[in-house]
Amino acid sequence: ITSTNVSLSCISEMRDKLRKWREENYRNSEQIVDVGEELLNEHASKLGDDIWIIYEQVMIAALDCSRDDLAWSCLQELKRQFPDSHRVKRLAGMRLEALERYEDANKLYDSILQDDPTNTAARKRKISILRAQGKSSEAIRELNEYLEQFVGDQEAWHELSELYINEHDYAKAAFCLEELMMTNPHNHLYCEQYAEVKYTQGGLENLELARKYFAQALKLNNRNMRALFGLYMSASHIAASPKVSAKVKKDNMKYGAWAASQISRAYQMAGRGKKENKCSVKAVEEMLESMQITMS
Amino acid sequence: MLEDDSGVTKKRTLQLSSMSVSFRSHEMGEVELSCLAYAKMYLHASQFPRCSVNGLLLSSSPAGGDVCITDCVPLLHTHLSLAPITQLALTQVDAWCSQTHQRIMGYYQANACVSDSSPTPCALKIAEKIFEQCNNAVLLMIDGEKMFPGCRVPPIVMYERKDARWALKDKHTIMLRQWEETCAIVNQLFSSGDQALLVDFDSHLDDITKDWTNQKLNAKIMELISPANGNV
Repeated sequence: ITSTNVSLSCISEMRDKLRKWREENYRNSEQIVDVGEELLNEHASKLGDDIWIIYEQVMIAALDCSRDDLAWSCLQELKRQFPDSHRVKRLAGMRLEALERYEDANKLYDSILQDDPTNTAARKRKISILRAQGKSSEAIRELNEYLEQFVGDQEAWHELSELYINEHDYAKAAFCLEELMMTNPHNHLYCEQYAEVKYTQGGLENLELARKYFAQALKLNNRNMRALFGLYMSASHIAASPKVSAKVKKDNMKYGAWAASQISRAYQMAGRGKKENKCSVKAVEEMLESMQITMS
Repeated sequence: MLEDDSGVTKKRTLQLSSMSVSFRSHEMGEVELSCLAYAKMYLHASQFPRCSVNGLLLSSSPAGGDVCITDCVPLLHTHLSLAPITQLALTQVDAWCSQTHQRIMGYYQANACVSDSSPTPCALKIAEKIFEQCNNAVLLMIDGEKMFPGCRVPPIVMYERKDARWALKDKHTIMLRQWEETCAIVNQLFSSGDQALLVDFDSHLDDITKDWTNQKLNAKIMELISPANGNV
């Protein structure tokens, strides 16, 4: 396909795709490289000022796919256009990271921070390097220090919660998720993750909290299957506990039964007309049945 | 004696005949890994290169005697160490196994950090649970550093229960029949694009119309396994 044969609407479609992926922060790097490489190689003249942000987007995607050739050429274009830019320097650092030249990358980020100590992007790259090297406790320490200064950085709070979960430090992970829920009260994913952490911590109190937050996640998004299953499981476990009052037992059996019927319904609908789903539908039904038996 | 990257000395017999890797030992505790199970594990790890992934190893052969891992169920690629979804998956796979005359006899995991393929506390915990029900359970770690085209060795490290801990399993007791054919099948799945058919439990929860038992993918893989191969 030469540039004369590809219609302008086709080009604008590709640009729209790239923009959507940029705005939604998707990491579909193979697709970005596919679309982006064609746009840059064949239709660069038609991209206007967008071309620079596309170079950046494609470069990062190229690093993700081990396409150093493409990443390098994008970087050269950006360096030529923005010779003293910290933003471009950060991209050069990311390329060094991809090549596992962590010391060189750190030197680059340190030079940015010397020039501009408030440069959060460089700080976060340094933390990512610690993570890539498996230095979890140091990454956690640096991230905590970072958050003392930049307390509103959602991405950082979430990253920290992931690190704590990997280290099995559930109490601290819960704390991070509490911060996220406070600032993002409509985000069902944070509620559901918080509930999962509480469930994992175990014990009656945590199970009840888990149930409440699974229910909250469902209120925010009634199609969140993890929340639905979570509600079912936490309610069932509470009802089965010898330590609860008759009223609590009754209430939780009610919640559990409601969740079970919702799950059943969802799977019936999903299984409709699809032969290959019979297995998963059957498995769910059996599970719901067996848990009923242990509860009563 | 050969030293690998971690500095651990491993005895490796490079007896690569064209048909199979590692020779049959007459010792007890031999484990065979089927093409189907290997292919799906490999595809799972490849589908989520930036995440830790895990799954369950299944056997349809009767308990006692030689062990054959005949299939696997890919489970998670997020939050491996959180309890609810893991518990849910174990329960459902259990139910499916009893319907299909299989049993859970192992666990596999591939770490996000490619340079470290040692079992994490989470892996040990789940393997422990499986061991409670199955006394020749195995723990399989996928070695990401050996997952590249043309690698002549299976990218796996297996552990078994010995003296109340998980010990490295002698490579001589791990059987992968028709190794080169298995590699060819995996390559074929990538070139045909069929590797995208793989569904793990996490993906199933994102869209419950997706089948975590992977019937469609299983059929494609069985088609590719030559009829002469008794490894089903």
